[in-house]
Amino acid sequence: MSIILLGMNHRTAPVEMRERLAFDSDSVSDALEHLVDHDIVEEGLIISTCNRVEMVASAPAGLERGLDRLTNFLCGARNIPSSSIDAHLYRRSGPEAVAHVFRVASSLDSMVVGEPQILGQVKDAYQHAVSAGTIGRVLSQLMDRAISVARRVRNETAISQNPVSVSSVAVELASKIFGDLADKTVLLVGAGEMAELAAQSLMAAGSSRLIVTNRTAERAEGLAQKFGGGVVSFEAFYDVFPLADIVICSTGAADYVVRHDDVKAAMRSRKKRPLLCIDISVPRNIDPAISSLDNTFLFDVDDLESVIEANKREREKEAKAAEAIIEMEVQHFILHLRTLDIGPSVVEVKQLLSEMALAELKRNRKRLGVLNDEQEAAIRDVLIPALVAKLSHPMILHMRTSARNGERSGILDELRKMMKLD
Amino acid sequence: MNLLWFVILAGYAVCAVQSITGLSAKRPGANRLALGALAVSFTAHTVWLLNEGIKSGRCPLVDAQEKSAFLSWCLIVAYLVIQRWYKANALRAFVFPLIFVLASIAAILPGTTEHPEGITSPVQRILLAVHAGLIMLSYAAFFIAFGAGLMFIIQERELKLKRFGLIFFRLPSLDTCDAISFKSMSAGFLLLTLGIAAGIIWSRVRDGIFWHGQPIEVFSVFTWIVYLLIIQSRINAGWGGRRAALASIVGFMLVIVSLAGVRYLGALHVFG
Repeated sequence: MSIILLGMNHRTAPVEMRERLAFDSDSVSDALEHLVDHDIVEEGLIISTCNRVEMVASAPAGLERGLDRLTNFLCGARNIPSSSIDAHLYRRSGPEAVAHVFRVASSLDSMVVGEPQILGQVKDAYQHAVSAGTIGRVLSQLMDRAISVARRVRNETAISQNPVSVSSVAVELASKIFGDLADKTVLLVGAGEMAELAAQSLMAAGSSRLIVTNRTAERAEGLAQKFGGGVVSFEAFYDVFPLADIVICSTGAADYVVRHDDVKAAMRSRKKRPLLCIDISVPRNIDPAISSLDNTFLFDVDDLESVIEANKREREKEAKAAEAIIEMEVQHFILHLRTLDIGPSVVEVKQLLSEMALAELKRNRKRLGVLNDEQEAAIRDVLIPALVAKLSHPMILHMRTSARNGERSGILDELRKMMKLD
Repeated sequence: MNLLWFVILAGYAVCAVQSITGLSAKRPGANRLALGALAVSFTAHTVWLLNEGIKSGRCPLVDAQEKSAFLSWCLIVAYLVIQRWYKANALRAFVFPLIFVLASIAAILPGTTEHPEGITSPVQRILLAVHAGLIMLSYAAFFIAFGAGLMFIIQERELKLKRFGLIFFRLPSLDTCDAISFKSMSAGFLLLTLGIAAGIIWSRVRDGIFWHGQPIEVFSVFTWIVYLLIIQSRINAGWGGRRAALASIVGFMLVIVSLAGVRYLGALHVFG
């Protein structure tokens, strides 16, 4: 097992440090070519995002030497003395390095656990290294497996299911109430940045209609245009209020803009169809008393924050299940890698056997009497390969079992000796 | 309890446990296991009912064992029908534990092959089967409506109080709960109507009268009227959401009384 990893993330290093060490997508190919020297470091890959800089490599000549080379490379590339970054770096090798790569790809190491972007970033990093030609047998296996582990974690746990941002929580609450958002109308009262984000998420989730009202009409019109919605004047928004299924309020008003009696009247004409009000203004713009009305749901900034907190806790819980999956996958991968290591030996065994057989054929050729070209070719191309396959099969099995148990099979050495005796 | 019931109960036990543990976390492995167990148990359960019917030469809906077995079977059918249209896995947590309990009752109770008294013609036999079968199916549908109504209330409370418990994350949307509840209730009402009608015709055929005046008859008609009013006010007065969900719970309380309580109120149904 020759996999090593060196890196820093949002927990071990401050942002200034990460910024200084980061590689952008243009410089990464160049860096990879310098990183891989085909001596100490045979294969390499760099994952660089705003929260982490990680170098993954295979170092067949020795893990410590490989890690030292990675450190030196990083310091050299960024012109930093190693003493100033050592404390922020973590060094991993073997199973620990594999586990770390799996955890990063599965978004367990992310600042927001379960966030979906990291997998894309890992795939990009992999792609860059493939284009730079610094990916070989070991890292390609590692990265392919990391991507499939990440998918498994996402499918088998609820780690990325519960939203942890204000706008996505708004969408979740809306889906919890309405199910399908397709025929739902969103009313924005006030057109601030937060309101815009929430509207964007709701429209992306399938809401069909947007109505914007704002004290300054230009801003309302700009927003409405962006999402293909309509505008009503701020004085007249009570008229369209009953049409809205989802109201997002974010005006700078010092008092309630949406009052209890307005909502009560609107609910009567809505025939009890549910209404979701989200008040992201401080001070609040929607009278909290509307919560007591049937089929009316009100969330203010604090409520949204507490939903985010609850969802984060839920993600933490799921992360434990994900860790168990990763632990299992690391073990599988290590076994797989060990059997992969016998690949070259398998080729050599077959080659040795085949050489022996051909030598014997040559020696005994005369005894076989007169053969035409077809018969001769059949011996060479059919009989001998078939014999070699048959004879090598139990040997390969033995090598594979030994490898899986972490032992080295002596079969190859024996065969080599036999060849020399000849 | 024979081997067949042991298999049936083991499968339903797996489903019941998964239905509850599945609420707090998403585990596809356990889910697949439960679906497999359900398939085996449901098949065995169906085989038992068919065999019971063939053995006794009548519809297996006469003694308490058969009623429990058939009602739990109906619940699975009702659940599968809902699952066909709505993604509402959380409904399992209400349905499967009850299925397990009913199936356990059926497994423990002694079986009989007695025929109800006074059944002489094949017409009567068919009418009785239709009457009892439809009413059992309607009870299953009302139970689903009750479960969906309960999910609505739980979730509505959580949304109102902004306190999100473990199961919040697994419950279907309020709209879905409402739709399941209303559709199941409507289906249950239709089945109950037809079941009562079949009962009345059967009574006329057997005894020459439409009405015996027994408590269960009175209670069934009362239940029927309550469901009629609930459905009517929902359609005409826009009684959606919380009130409809509460109504589905109240309605089901009446069903429980009809199903179990009337036996102990002093009077027997024709074959109680």
